[in-house]
Amino acid sequence: MRKQWGLLAVFFGVALVASVFGSNFLSGYNLENLTNRTALFSILALGAGIVIAVGGIDLSIGSVVCLCGIATPWLLVEHGWPAWQVVPVVLGMAAAIGLMHGLLITKLRLQPFLVTLCGLLLYRGLARWVTGDQSQGFAGEFDGLRSLALGRIPVPFIEGYRIPATVIPLAVLAVGTSLVLTRTVWGRWLLATGSNESAARISGVPTQRLTIAAYVACSLLAGLGGMLFIFDIGSAQPSDFGNFYELYAIAAAVLGGCSLRGGRASVGGIVLGTATLQVLRNAIILLGLSSQLEFAVIGAVLLLGMTADELLLRWRERRAERRAPSG
Amino acid sequence: MIHAILASLVLAAAPAATLHAASPADRAALLAAQKARVTEMAKAPKASPHLAFVSNGVADFWTIAKAGALAAGRDLKCQVTVEFPGAGLSDQKRMLEDLVTRGIDGVSVSPIDPKNQREVLDLIAERSLLITNDSDAPEAPRLAYIGMDNYLAGRKCGELARAGLPGGGEVAIFIGRLEQDNAKRRWQGFVDGLLGRSVDATRRDDHTKPFTEAGYTILGTWTDSFDRAKAKANVEDVMTRNPGLDLVTGLFEYNSVLALEVFKQAGKAGTIKIAGFDEGAEVIEGIREGSVLGTVVQDPYGYGYQSIVLLHALTQGKLEALPASGEIAIPARTITKENVDAFWSDLKAKLAAGKAVK
Amino acid sequence: MPTVPATLASPALVLRACGVSRRYAGVQALDGVSVEIRAGEVLAVVGENGAGKSTLMKIIGGIVAPSAGHLEEIGADGAARVMRLRGAAEAARAGIALVHQEVNLAEDLDLTGVVLLGGEIHKMGWLDRAAMDARARVALLRVGLEMDPRTVCGSLPIAARQLVEIARALATNARVLVLDEPTSSLSSHETDRLLRILGELRRDGVAVVFVSHRLDEVMRIADRVIVLRDGKLRGELHRGAWSRAEIERLMVGREVPARQPLVQVADAPVRLELREVVTRHRRQRPVSLSVRRGEIVALAGLVGAGRTELLAAIAGCSLHDGTVMLDGAAVPAGCPARVRHGIAMLPEDRARDGLLYEESAGRNISLAWIGVRSYFGLVRRRAEAAMVDEAIARTQLRPAQAQRLVRTLSGGNQQKAILGRLLGISPKVLLLDEPTRGVDVGARAEIHEAIRGAAAGGAAVLVASSEMEEVLLLAHRIVVLHDGAIVGELSASAATEEAILRLATGGARGAAEAA
Repeated sequence: MRKQWGLLAVFFGVALVASVFGSNFLSGYNLENLTNRTALFSILALGAGIVIAVGGIDLSIGSVVCLCGIATPWLLVEHGWPAWQVVPVVLGMAAAIGLMHGLLITKLRLQPFLVTLCGLLLYRGLARWVTGDQSQGFAGEFDGLRSLALGRIPVPFIEGYRIPATVIPLAVLAVGTSLVLTRTVWGRWLLATGSNESAARISGVPTQRLTIAAYVACSLLAGLGGMLFIFDIGSAQPSDFGNFYELYAIAAAVLGGCSLRGGRASVGGIVLGTATLQVLRNAIILLGLSSQLEFAVIGAVLLLGMTADELLLRWRERRAERRAPSG
Repeated sequence: MIHAILASLVLAAAPAATLHAASPADRAALLAAQKARVTEMAKAPKASPHLAFVSNGVADFWTIAKAGALAAGRDLKCQVTVEFPGAGLSDQKRMLEDLVTRGIDGVSVSPIDPKNQREVLDLIAERSLLITNDSDAPEAPRLAYIGMDNYLAGRKCGELARAGLPGGGEVAIFIGRLEQDNAKRRWQGFVDGLLGRSVDATRRDDHTKPFTEAGYTILGTWTDSFDRAKAKANVEDVMTRNPGLDLVTGLFEYNSVLALEVFKQAGKAGTIKIAGFDEGAEVIEGIREGSVLGTVVQDPYGYGYQSIVLLHALTQGKLEALPASGEIAIPARTITKENVDAFWSDLKAKLAAGKAVK
Repeated sequence: MPTVPATLASPALVLRACGVSRRYAGVQALDGVSVEIRAGEVLAVVGENGAGKSTLMKIIGGIVAPSAGHLEEIGADGAARVMRLRGAAEAARAGIALVHQEVNLAEDLDLTGVVLLGGEIHKMGWLDRAAMDARARVALLRVGLEMDPRTVCGSLPIAARQLVEIARALATNARVLVLDEPTSSLSSHETDRLLRILGELRRDGVAVVFVSHRLDEVMRIADRVIVLRDGKLRGELHRGAWSRAEIERLMVGREVPARQPLVQVADAPVRLELREVVTRHRRQRPVSLSVRRGEIVALAGLVGAGRTELLAAIAGCSLHDGTVMLDGAAVPAGCPARVRHGIAMLPEDRARDGLLYEESAGRNISLAWIGVRSYFGLVRRRAEAAMVDEAIARTQLRPAQAQRLVRTLSGGNQQKAILGRLLGISPKVLLLDEPTRGVDVGARAEIHEAIRGAAAGGAAVLVASSEMEEVLLLAHRIVVLHDGAIVGELSASAATEEAILRLATGGARGAAEAA
C-alpha cells in the first residue's frame, strides 16, 4: 500500500515537470496516446504482477508477445484464416505456453527463472523460424480487427480527447483481476501461496493448481497484449518485436507494489507503475531531452523516487516512535 | 540485460575461437592475393561454384534481393546461399565465419559496421572472394562494391522533401538507428538534399541538436532500435511537441509506414507531408492517394543479381569483370504518383519470386 | 547460597542495562528495565509471551537499539562505560553473544562455516580451512558435540543445531552469553545436557543470561531470576529465596488454571484410523493407530522418533503407504483434499509452515475457512469477519484485533492464530505438532483449553509434544514412538514421566502396558 504513495508522487512529479517545461503534455492528443500506451503495457504488467504475486517470475513475456503478435497477421494474411479462428487459436497457444511453464515449475520443480528464460529464447526462435524471419503486417487490411487497438471512443462534452479502444480490455481485465484478488477464494489463495507456499498447502490451498493458473494467466495476457500491440503498430519484425517488454512489465509490477518475494499485488499499483514508465518516456521527448538519455533518465528518476520513499518511511517510523508516550 | 548476457555467451561460443583471428592484414596484399586466386581459377574453373549473399538484417527489401541472387544462380547454374542476420553485428559475424568454414567460393555482404568488422572481412578475403553490396566498406579488401551510395540516395529523399516544401518549414527525421554507416550517410544525404547544399559525402552535421538553415528547421532525429511501438510513439510525441510540424521523413522502411499511420489516426494525413524511404505497402498506397510525397527506392533485386553475376565471373577466372573504379552503381529511384503503379507491379512479382524459396 | 547481598560476595559485575525501553510500531515492548549481569552467574529471565524478554535479549545482544536508556560495560577497574552497540558484530567485539530463539543456521554451510561465521580465519583473503576446522572442533567439544566439523548443518537434528549455535557464540570468546529460549525445541534429556553445559560455562566465568518458559529448569540452574510482565520489571528473586508459586504469580499476574478433568470417551465411535501407514521416516515402519471422537492422544518420543513424519502423513503433506480412514472411509491423498475432509494440522515450525508473515491476523485465521466455506468461489466477507472474531475469542488471542499484522504478535499469539485457523473449519481430526513450543504459561493454558474445546466438539486430536508436563496434562492416552514405530501405549491414569521416558528411549518395550 505504502509503495503506491511514493509512486503516485513520482507520477505526478514527472507529469508536472512535463506539463510546465514541455510543450503540449496536457493536450488531448498526447493524453490519448499516453492512455493507449499505458493500456497496452498494463495488460502485460498485470500478467507479470499475477505471477510475481504467486512467488514466481516470467521472463518470456516479450517473446510470447512476439510469437502471438506475429502469428496473428501471419495466419490472417499469409494463410488467409478467418479472424474468428485466428483469435482463439492464438490465445489458445498463449494459454498452452503458460500451462507448460506452470507444469514444469510445479510438477518437475524447475526454477521459474530458468523455465521462462528458456521460453524467452524458444518462442522468439519459433516466431523467427515459422515466418522465415520476415516482417509480418496487415498490409492495409483488417481495419475492423485493428480498430480494437486503433479505435477511439469520443467522450461526450469533452473536446479533443477520445478514449483509446485498448482501455476497454484493460478496464475489464483490471477490474476482473482486482475482484478475483480481493473477493474470491482463488485470489486469496494466490496471495497466500506467494506469501508462504508451505503454510498455504497445509491449510488446504491447492498451491500447484494456483501456480499453474497464474502462469497461464500471465502468458494469456502476454498473448492478448501481443495481438493488441500488432493491431496498434500494423506490422512487426520477429527478430525485435517485444524485446525487453518483460522487463517493462516486471518493473511496472514491482513499482506498483508487487513484492518479488510474493504474496503482494495491487492492480491499481500495476497500472500506475506502467503509466509512470510511459509518462517518463513521453516526457523525455516533450522536454526535448536527447533520446540517447532515455534509459538513464528512467533509471535515475525511479531510483530517486524509491530512495526518497524509503527514507520518508523510515523518518516517519522514527518520529512515531519518539512521539508516542511510553507506558 | 539478460539479452546482453546471452549475446555475449553466443559470441563466446562462436566459431571465432576455432578459426584463427586474422591480424589486420595489409589491404593491398589481401586484394592482390584474391586477384591471384582469380587468375589461378582461370586454369580450372569450377563447374558449379558455391556463392553467398549476406544481408545486414531482415526485411522485404532483402527478400527481393534474395530473389535476384537466386535468379542469377539459376541463370548461371551455380549454388547460391542467402543469409539474413536477424540479431545484428554478432549474428552477421557468425554467419560469415560459418560460410568461410564451409569453404564458400565467394561472398557478397552488406556489412553492418565495416570499421569494426575488419577481421571478419579480412578473413573472407584471405580464404574466399569478398565483394560488398548495399553498404560499402572502402577500407576493407573488397574486390568491388555493388549498390547505390546511401549518401546519394539520402540526397534524393532530401530533394523530394525540398520539392514538396519549397518555402521551408519544420522537419523531423525518424530512423531505426544511426549506428550503422549506411544510416549515417543516408541521414547526411537527406539533410544536404533538403537544404540544397553541394554534394559532399564527408560532411557531418550533429544529429543530436536541432538547427535552422536556408529556411528549414530540422527539429531533431529520433531513433527506436527497431522497437516499432517505440517508433510509433516517437512520431506521436514529436507531433505533440511541435504543432507546427510540416514534414517528416522515415529513413527506414517502417518509419515512414508508422508516420503515415499516426497522421491518419490524428487526421493529419496530407497536412504533414512525408518523404518516404523504401517501398512499404502503406507508403505506396499513400503515394497513390496523395498523403505521401513520394519515396526513394533502391533496387535490391539488382544488388542480388549483380552480386552473383560478378562473383560467378570471378570464380571462372574473369578478372576483367572487375570495374576499374571498384564500384558497380545501381542507382536509387524516386517514386512519385507518376510512376508508382508500374513500379509496384514489378516489385510484387520479384517479391513473390523471393518468397517462393524458403 | 541464601540471599546474597549485592556487594563483595557477589561475582564481578560485567554489564548493566540502565532503564532500557523500546517501542515497536506503537507498542511499548520494553519499559525502563534495569538489570545487572555478573560473571560466573546464570541469570534467568522469565515472563509471558509479549512480556519483553526477547526485546531485552536483543538489546543486550546489540541487534536492537534501545529507544531510551543505555547499556554500560563495567571494566576490570570497576569503571562503567556507556556502550552503543550497532549490530551483532559490535556486540561480539564487546564480548557479548546472542543465541536466537529461532534456530536460523545457514543450512547449506558446514559446521565450521557456521561456528566461525563472521569470524573466519584467513590469510590475505584465502580461508585457512585447517585452522578453522581446529577452532570449530574445540568450540563444538565445549558444548559436548563430538562431530566432524565438515558435517553440513542442515542434516543435524534441531537439538544439535541449538548446541551449534552456542558453540558459535563461544567461538567469539564471549564473556556474556545470551540465550533466548534455548530449550524450547529440546527434549528433556537434551535439555539436561544443555543445562549441564551452561553450568560448566558458569564455572569458567561466563555470564549466562537465558530466557525460558520452563520454570523447573529455571529453578534448577539459575542463580537469579528476573520476571518481566508487559515490558516492565516485576521482580528479582535470588536462589534460595524463591518459590515456584511466587514466580508464576509475578509472571501471570493472575491465577493459572489447574488441570481440568477429562471427558470420558471410552465408548465413543472411532473417528481416525491408521492402517499400516508407512511414512517418510527413514526406518519405514508401518504404524497403526485409532483415535475416537473427542479423544486426545499424545504422541510422545524423542526428537527423530517419527512423530512429525506421522502427523505430516496424516495431514497429506507427505506421501505415505497404507490407509488413513476417517469415520470408516478412506480419505484421498493430498493436503487440500484432507483439509476439505476436515483433517487439519498445526505444523511444528510456525514461521516456515504456518504463518503468512506479512498478512493480518484475520487473513491468517481465515485461510483454511475461505476454501471450505466459500460461495461459488466468492469470499463472504461478513461471514469471514464473524468467523475470525469467533476464532479470536475461542483461542483468547490478544490483542483481539483482526487487522493486526501477525508478525507483530508474540509467539504464543501467533500460535493461537494458526490454531484459530484450524478450529475455524470445525475439524474432525486435529493434528498438533508441538502446539506450545515457545509459548508462555498463560497462553499455554489457553491453547490447551481451546484444544479440549475442539475435542469436546467431537474432533479426534493427535498431539505431538516433547514436554512431558503437557503430555500428561492434556491426553487421554499416550502413544510412545521410538525409531519410527509405536513402542507402547499408556493410559492417562497409568502414565508417569519415567514410564514414558523408558519407552521413548527404547527401553523396557515388553513392560509397556497395552491399552
